[in-house]
Amino acid sequence: MVRFLARRLFFCAVLVVMTASSALLLTRVAPGDLTLSLGPFATAREIAAERSRFALDRPIAVQWGEWAGSAMRFDFGESSLYRVPVGPLVFQAAAHTAVLAIGALLVATVAGVGLGIVTGSQRGALPGLIRMASIGAISLPSLLTSLVLLFIAARTGWFPTGGISSVDASNHWTDLAGHLPLPILALALPVAATFERLQSAALAEQLHQPFVMAAAARGVSKRRLVLRHAWPVSVKAITAVYGLAAGSLLSGSFAVEIVTAWPGLGRLTYDALYARDIYLVAGCVAVGAAVLSAGMLLGDVLLALSDPRVPDVR
Amino acid sequence: MRWGGLTLLVLLAVSVMAAPLLAPNAPEQRFGDLLYAPPTPVHLWNDGITAPFIYPLRLVSRIERRFEEDRQHPAPLVWFSNGRLVSGGEAPLLLLGADSYGRDMLARVLYGGRISLTLALVSAGCAVLAGALLGGIAGYAGGWLDGVISRSTEFLLVLPAMYVVLMLRAVLPLALSGGTVFALLTAIFATLGWPIVARGTRAIVIGERQREYVEAARAVGVSPARLLLRHLLPAASGYLATQLTLLLPAFILAEATLSYIGFGFPPETATWGTMLKDAANVLLVADVPWLLAPAVAIFLSVLAVNLLVQATGRPPVQLEG
Amino acid sequence: MSIRPSFRFAGVIVSLVVVAAFWLIWRSTAPPANPTARATPVRGGQLTAGIRSDPKSFNSLVAADEPSVIVSSLLQARLVRINRATFELEPWLADTWEMTPDGRKYTLHLRPNVTWSDGAPLTSADVLFTFRAVRDKRVESALADSLVVAGQPIEATAPDDHTVVVTFPAASGPGLRLLDTLPILPKHKLEGALSNGTFRTAWQTTTAPADVVGAGPFVLKSYETGQRVVLSRNERYWRKAADGTKLPFIDQLILEIVPEQTAGMLRLESGNLDMLQSELRPDDVPSALNAEKKGHLKVIELGVGTDADAFWFCLKPEARKNDRRFAFVQRREFRQALSYAVDREEFARVVFFDAAVPIWGPVTPGNKTWFTPNLKRYGPDLDKARAVLRDIGLEDRNGNGVVEAADGTEARFTVMTQKGIAAYERGTTLLKERAAMIGVALNIAPLEAGAMIERLKTSDYEAIYMRPLMTDLDPAGNMDMWLSSGGAHFWNLEQTTPATDWEKRIDDIMMRQAATVDLARRRELFNEAQEILAENLPVLYFAAPRLYYAHSTRVTGVVPSVLRPPVLWNADSLGVTAPPRAN
Repeated sequence: MVRFLARRLFFCAVLVVMTASSALLLTRVAPGDLTLSLGPFATAREIAAERSRFALDRPIAVQWGEWAGSAMRFDFGESSLYRVPVGPLVFQAAAHTAVLAIGALLVATVAGVGLGIVTGSQRGALPGLIRMASIGAISLPSLLTSLVLLFIAARTGWFPTGGISSVDASNHWTDLAGHLPLPILALALPVAATFERLQSAALAEQLHQPFVMAAAARGVSKRRLVLRHAWPVSVKAITAVYGLAAGSLLSGSFAVEIVTAWPGLGRLTYDALYARDIYLVAGCVAVGAAVLSAGMLLGDVLLALSDPRVPDVR
Repeated sequence: MRWGGLTLLVLLAVSVMAAPLLAPNAPEQRFGDLLYAPPTPVHLWNDGITAPFIYPLRLVSRIERRFEEDRQHPAPLVWFSNGRLVSGGEAPLLLLGADSYGRDMLARVLYGGRISLTLALVSAGCAVLAGALLGGIAGYAGGWLDGVISRSTEFLLVLPAMYVVLMLRAVLPLALSGGTVFALLTAIFATLGWPIVARGTRAIVIGERQREYVEAARAVGVSPARLLLRHLLPAASGYLATQLTLLLPAFILAEATLSYIGFGFPPETATWGTMLKDAANVLLVADVPWLLAPAVAIFLSVLAVNLLVQATGRPPVQLEG
Repeated sequence: MSIRPSFRFAGVIVSLVVVAAFWLIWRSTAPPANPTARATPVRGGQLTAGIRSDPKSFNSLVAADEPSVIVSSLLQARLVRINRATFELEPWLADTWEMTPDGRKYTLHLRPNVTWSDGAPLTSADVLFTFRAVRDKRVESALADSLVVAGQPIEATAPDDHTVVVTFPAASGPGLRLLDTLPILPKHKLEGALSNGTFRTAWQTTTAPADVVGAGPFVLKSYETGQRVVLSRNERYWRKAADGTKLPFIDQLILEIVPEQTAGMLRLESGNLDMLQSELRPDDVPSALNAEKKGHLKVIELGVGTDADAFWFCLKPEARKNDRRFAFVQRREFRQALSYAVDREEFARVVFFDAAVPIWGPVTPGNKTWFTPNLKRYGPDLDKARAVLRDIGLEDRNGNGVVEAADGTEARFTVMTQKGIAAYERGTTLLKERAAMIGVALNIAPLEAGAMIERLKTSDYEAIYMRPLMTDLDPAGNMDMWLSSGGAHFWNLEQTTPATDWEKRIDDIMMRQAATVDLARRRELFNEAQEILAENLPVLYFAAPRLYYAHSTRVTGVVPSVLRPPVLWNADSLGVTAPPRAN
């Protein structure tokens, strides 16, 4: 197991470096550069000055070399959008997103797996309705679901309509707690729906397996059949994608963050891309790649642990 | 339920394929004074007229988006003319209202379905097929082959797709034909979709591979290909079916996202994804809810496929009662 | 396993409840509004305005993005101010001034007893310091170019602590108006940074609030990245209301960062924000009017916008060398034909929902001082358009609906535009339709902003549809657009010599008007330049939108302007009547 982990961690690190470097490269090669923010009619002098400030007048290889070198020393360059060092900026945004991601993952897991068990093991109106709701949740773009939730929050006044904090909050923690439900719900809905669909299908399949029928013949109660016999095997379908889901939540959803004005990694990555902010792009992509690969690795480990049939050393 | 799904899917497919017949108006046709017009009410009888008819909608206030029926000029519906099943004759028949340009929403949903539905079904199908095969091979073969395939899935999943697509758009010529865009989008979606399918399939195949019947079959000399196709992959069929229903809406909506960064069909072309993106103004939609018609279309398509390919929650007979 | 009847029943009840709840919320209205505001503002209270992105710096000498400029205008003061509603020049830090008859020297007298927010006295030394900073090569200030006349920088000297003499290298039409964009910065806080070359980063956004000193109505209280900028009243602000009350009225001004426009509207309607950064999108006006009826908002018309969407072909001969179509594109008749084909009333109706006025040149009726209605008007006249095309040899010889030249070259073009802006999408659709009616085939290619701007800068495009923003209402501030050598002469950037005869004429006229002090004479000259442009049509204009703005009912003292920021330009005179409504 240790060797397996070490090898995979090494590959994760390689992946992060590769992805961040390709993002740096792609931003160099993509049409336009960070001087776009100066507008279409900026003077040549302004443009040249800005380009040299961000090493765009030097060859790609040289810029990459300089960036990689300072990255070793944990200096990830400066952001042209915010004019502050990339490291702390990305770290703070990632932390904000992590708060949402963990909450959303919890909600999605409980709701998705729970509802999936209900729909996978029963017939009737309720499972049918839940199925409709899941399909509805995955059929709508997250921009729209976030806006609908914001609409509800604005019209009912139950929750703050955006941001991560209020200005004159007396208690920092209760204030944060009040701002969480809106973005967490917006993030969790499609993930919960995905989990529900996967869990439902997997459970239904397991209920048809011989070992379940054998247990039923032995007189095991329905409840035990579902929860103790069929479900533990069916959860593998979720485990296979769980790590990926966690990773992609942690790398941030641009749509949710922009609508709820949450200062997170998704929004930062998108803004960086749009503005061709080269060092910020590399930083965001690196963090995104790191959490995604970590998520996938975690998923694989969970899979190996959950199913004793799987030989884990590869 | 399976039949329900099949029926629904066939209905949808036939509707979008028969769009030129079913749509009362052309999808690009603009009615300048009917921006955001509500669905035209169809009346059944009035004194003297026994066939279905409509009143033309007249604009009362453009800025308030208010319309009223012109009761002076009832227009009977015209059937089977101009290659259309039904149309309004003198007055435009807008059964699902009009969008921000005054174009018929029903026509745009029907014509848009041809692109969105076909694109999504084809790409999802390719992604599931490729993912199933590669995931199955990785799970069964193990060793370096598994390593290569698994690491590739990780690389593709971690890669920032937007950046690559943006750069791709830049190197392509400015004007792209609809066919080229379709082919490119299918390729991009299939490439982005297969890793997720492969990872899950691999996990399931690894589990199945340990079972006794597999050992037995190998001992007898069954070829790996047959084993894979006949026994191991079918074990993942539930997962594959679910992934198909998950990828379908994802691709319909992703088409709109890519269109946002310039990698899409020409602007007048209706697609469900772009129509929904245009409707992404909740305040507007609260007053003009028919803009969400494509969301209903996407929902119905996904529901149909889901019902069709997925086993229902119906447990075996012995467990009942 | 069958469901017990009670579960099934429960399922149905739950579903009904959920559906009912959704329906109720859908049909609901926002929470009740505040009582209507009193006319005269009183001191106290908090105002929250939404801005769309983070400021890049607290020093607008080095950052020209909108949020930075807004923040800087709230923290700093200038020598003179152009009133954004009347366009008159107002005394600001400079109380009075005299001008020499040739218009080249102004003696400004600084208002007495003005102190910085930290108590230090504001003197002419600070003004000189600011001028020096703008000109410093290491600072690379974007404002440097705006303080230049005939290629030479404006000089400033100070005979004493409260007098500044500003010398223009040549007669300047705008004169002191050029100083409106220049915030006066504190020498005692920034001199060190200027000397050792760190001026650019001296006031970056991580600076401690207490170090950002200014003579504006507010001081910086805090800034949280991605969230908000909080400003509080500058107790040492020098300005007073007409009745003697010290300004600003409000205690605290919060600039909340809200990146998405629809979310901003929702928060505005629910009372979470009092105002947004810019005017309403045309699509949002009806729901804003609805909200006004219910008493949640006040909707005001700012006037006709000063910028309009434009359409032009790339007219750079070097870029279009191998393009056979260029032979007829560079003829003004071709562009005139397109102008004849477009129905500008229809344009106003469809693209801006009737809230627009037709225009035929870059200067709109919103720019009251410089607008002229006497430009050549085209169409709509499809027959004339087709006739004009025939005159230059373009006819549909093969009956495919597209006109071609005698050598068979078709009039088929790709028009690039920016993706995601509803007005552009509607405008290009309409343009394409009208062009098709006269046999010109336009293929619209929406691109991501970066890709589009890149192609624009390298002249790698056939035609483009977008809104070029005018830097300044005064044409002397837009020389880079009018002069053929200018970097914003968008249809043919940075020419070494004028490519056409009429561009040469415009060059002459514009140079003359920039150097004339008499306003009436300047307007005569500029009208001529506008007429030449409308005649030769390197760029086509269709309609200028009427701008609407919405703010909460608790805000008083609002003086609307068509320029941005529409209400915050006058922030020191804004007041609020009631506590904020919602979360």
